[in-house]
Amino acid sequence: MHERFANAFDPFVIPYMIGFVFVIAYLVGALCYVVKQLPLSDKKKMLKHLFSYKIFITVKDIFADCLLHVKIWKKNKLLGYMHSSIAFGWFMLILVGHIEIFFYAPHRVNLPYYPIFFRYFMMETETTVGGSVFFFLMDFFLLMVLSGIALAMIKRLRRRFFGMKRTTRLKWNDRLGMYALWCIFPLRFLAESFTSHISGGGFLTRGFGMVFDWFNQFINNDALIRPTWWAYSIALMVFFLTLPWSRFTHILSEALLIYMRNAGIRETSKNNGYASVEIYSCSRCGLCLDPCQMVSGASLRQMASVEFTRNIRWGQRAQALEAASYCLMCNRCVQACPVGVNSVQLKLNLKGADIQYRYPHRYDYVESDAANRPLATTPAWANILQSGAETAAVEKTTGEAAPEVVYFAGCMSHLTPGIERSMVRIFKAAGVGYTFLDEEGGICCGRPLMLSGDRIGGEQLMARNTEAILATGAKTLVCSCPICYKIFKDTYKLEGVRVLHHTEYLLQLLEAGRITVRKGAETGVYHDPCELGRHAGIYKQPRDVLYRVLNLHTTPYEGKDALCCGHSIAAEGMPYKKRRMIAKDALKKMTEKNVDVVVTACPSCKRAFAEIGTVGIKDIAEIVCEQLVLPQAQPQK
Amino acid sequence: MKETIAIIGGGPAGMEAALSLAGRGYKVYLVEKTDALGGHLARWDRLFPQQDPAQDLLNEMIGKVREADDYIEVIYGTELQYVKRRMRGLEVMLSNQTVLQVDAVLVACGFDLFRAERKEEYGYGIYENVLTSADLERKFKEKKVVCHDGRTPQKVAFVHCVGSRDEKVDHTYCSKVCCVTAVKQACEIKELYPEAEVFNLYMDLRMFDRYFEQMYHKAQSHFGVHFVRGRLSEVSETVDGRIQIKTEDTLLGRPMKLTVDMLVLMVGMQACAATAELAEKLDLKVSPSDHFFETKDLFLRGNQAHAKGIFLAGACTGPKSLPDTLQDARSAAESIHRYLTD
Amino acid sequence: MKDFGFGLKKSGVIDLDGIDWTLFREIAAEEPSFMNCFYCGTCTATCSAGKYTGFNLRRLQLLVKRGQWEEVAQRIPECMLCGKCQWVCPKGVNTRHIVMLINKKLHARKIC
Repeated sequence: MHERFANAFDPFVIPYMIGFVFVIAYLVGALCYVVKQLPLSDKKKMLKHLFSYKIFITVKDIFADCLLHVKIWKKNKLLGYMHSSIAFGWFMLILVGHIEIFFYAPHRVNLPYYPIFFRYFMMETETTVGGSVFFFLMDFFLLMVLSGIALAMIKRLRRRFFGMKRTTRLKWNDRLGMYALWCIFPLRFLAESFTSHISGGGFLTRGFGMVFDWFNQFINNDALIRPTWWAYSIALMVFFLTLPWSRFTHILSEALLIYMRNAGIRETSKNNGYASVEIYSCSRCGLCLDPCQMVSGASLRQMASVEFTRNIRWGQRAQALEAASYCLMCNRCVQACPVGVNSVQLKLNLKGADIQYRYPHRYDYVESDAANRPLATTPAWANILQSGAETAAVEKTTGEAAPEVVYFAGCMSHLTPGIERSMVRIFKAAGVGYTFLDEEGGICCGRPLMLSGDRIGGEQLMARNTEAILATGAKTLVCSCPICYKIFKDTYKLEGVRVLHHTEYLLQLLEAGRITVRKGAETGVYHDPCELGRHAGIYKQPRDVLYRVLNLHTTPYEGKDALCCGHSIAAEGMPYKKRRMIAKDALKKMTEKNVDVVVTACPSCKRAFAEIGTVGIKDIAEIVCEQLVLPQAQPQK
Repeated sequence: MKETIAIIGGGPAGMEAALSLAGRGYKVYLVEKTDALGGHLARWDRLFPQQDPAQDLLNEMIGKVREADDYIEVIYGTELQYVKRRMRGLEVMLSNQTVLQVDAVLVACGFDLFRAERKEEYGYGIYENVLTSADLERKFKEKKVVCHDGRTPQKVAFVHCVGSRDEKVDHTYCSKVCCVTAVKQACEIKELYPEAEVFNLYMDLRMFDRYFEQMYHKAQSHFGVHFVRGRLSEVSETVDGRIQIKTEDTLLGRPMKLTVDMLVLMVGMQACAATAELAEKLDLKVSPSDHFFETKDLFLRGNQAHAKGIFLAGACTGPKSLPDTLQDARSAAESIHRYLTD
Repeated sequence: MKDFGFGLKKSGVIDLDGIDWTLFREIAAEEPSFMNCFYCGTCTATCSAGKYTGFNLRRLQLLVKRGQWEEVAQRIPECMLCGKCQWVCPKGVNTRHIVMLINKKLHARKIC
């Protein structure tokens, strides 16, 4: 092993060095920019993480996600191989290349281009053990990368092989970066092959080099050697120079994202430094396209998350806002994202930033009413077991016996009287003392405002509802609407009050033996509402209830893969016709197997599917109520 | 005997067309899926605009069909299975395996009433004292117009446009007859219970036909029926089983609530359940906007389907009042006659 | 024309010749369903806010269409955006979006 040139330099390294220096400068600049935007507590977290043992976990995560792309492997093997062969193969080429330098030319370690153009500057034969090992390794990983590049080309033409129905459409900046990336490794392969009769090479480069040698005996010149090294260097330069403006920025930012996430930094309600890293980490892989029902159900491709992050990255605020106003916030895309970009939060933050262009909401009109609202009109909880209005009045005035449960049906449930009526019947059958807080119509829980980006407005309503709920003295809050449930559980501060959705509550009543049900002959499937399922993680309870009352069938669209009904309260901008298309498509998918009834646990989902009208739709409370076994009904006559 | 025609549907349209064709000497097979003639007419008590008993009209029509038994053969309890085109005319296979060789087919399958359960916020099927206009008509026919618990209704509200002019149930059209039916039924309630307060919740009162406006006038001035311009948003039930409704009095611009003993939903017309299936078997076109059959045009070919030798009559081509249906049936008979003599 | 001396009092007449149509046009362009309304009042009947206050979405939409913005600006912040109106609307009007848009446009014009 020895160097071919004493000065260890050739002009063709210049383009590469330009690109290299540029990327390093960009990296440092971007890091400073991101850190500057972070709040002080997050800056501290970042520094602390560097010296904590958790850094090893971060390194492992970066290795698994950025290089091996483990999450993509789980989706589709071929797609996983494509991503990891390029990323991991390239990484190994860099790693082994540097080891080679340390091994053979430690005095050249300070030349950043040296490992890149190693085969040009150093010669070796495969007869030595070291040589043969390095030749083999370098060629092996080069082949790996080349196979990945070949698959990437095929993917552009035949994406179905990779388990994708749709992929992103690329703009010129992404194309330039992509073509440069595609060129780098074939050019390196050619350059090393052409040089292999001088510098040696492994099975791949030397193998092809021998073919080239054979041609060489006719033309007898090495004129192609330096031009291919030039071309290789230029391709690298182009790739590096376009890096900040192409989808490949994610190569740098994804590692930073993992670092920040592991350091404990989270999305906040404002799009700050962390959000920028998320936005730049979107590789436009398009894996969020197929799960998005706006795309699959309503032909709204331009509204998908991948396009949203692009719009926001390029400062196209109007388009980004429009996409945010269409988004159902069902979280299917967030779940599919291999990088873990929380695009739903990014959209919420964008909506939140837009609130400054509106007059703030004013709810002082409910304030005056809130104090005398609970229990003021009909103390429904006291009516249970026909105890009569007088006793109720007495109980109220003497201040005895707070109800066991405060029931909050929610605005939407007033439009599904079947749910409310069933819950009231179930409370009575179980002998539960309850107060129906919004029987006469209440005020909104505040989540719709939150989902429109208006936190301050939402907090005003939350304060009013908190007062009213706590004033009842009940220790359990049962809600029928998952939208309310989500905010009551996660955002309200209801000290000492358990918050339950009626699915959970029904299961508790059943398990405690307070109500008894019989199993009907109906067949049904369960539809997980987004707010209850993906947003609150309630998957098991409704199924545990349902198998007691009907013949529950399964569909491929359950649990985390559940579909959205299309009528999310978040999507204020989506036209009704599009919502309906999504609902129709979802219902069709869920009823591929013929069933009597689709059961859900959300008044909005129920209405959305009932409007389509092709199959019976029931709420879980209605099914349970229908199948109640009432003790007094048995022995009479 | 002259040519033969199969008529699908033994309601007013089918019967009237059969009588017209029989009068011209054609042989008619009247195919009725139930075991009685009359369709929706048989379930109605009195007919707007002059309160004629529906039974009289039905008896007269059925009597005439029987009299014309040389020409009209009624086949009960049967539906159309398939139709094949032959060298001359069509071959109709029925569900009872009968095969008819005919020269033309007239589809008069009528309409279905909107299923009010689909508007859950209106409480039909949940609260006992929420009825449809058809339920109330049955009560009139049975002469037992009382609430679920047997009480005499003191307050009754009629809700117009239930399942009509409503994009949420994909019925964007007006059903034409509900406004006048609501006024008719409101007057009948007042005739029965002069002390009762009766309300009509309407969006637009469409009193377009002969004598309709007079009915509206009489309802206001003679019977004292209240008219509120507003659409029902939702209902709830009071402890004593009465129905509390929410609407806006749009002319005053204020939300309004009202408790009634009986809530009547004026259910609109929708294309009958067999429409899609018949369209496929007979190669007919269905309108994507209202789901009723499409005719070749709305003027000179208003009874011709897009397939040769197939004709359409009555409410299967869109909501129609009974007089309109009968006229449409006669016009269909004329179209068939012209087609067969051309 | 004879001056009857009523000049100081604001006329109760809506002067459709004199109004600025841009607000209405902008909203209709950004949310086409704004034009679908047939003023049935179902939104107002179901309104969670309307129970406590004079918030009346049917009327507000009509006021925007008639150029009477001042009254709209007073009322629009009272909406809770709960979405009931959108559910019951028989014409598929995106009512929540309209409320947000009206608010935004009024804010941009500093009408309050």
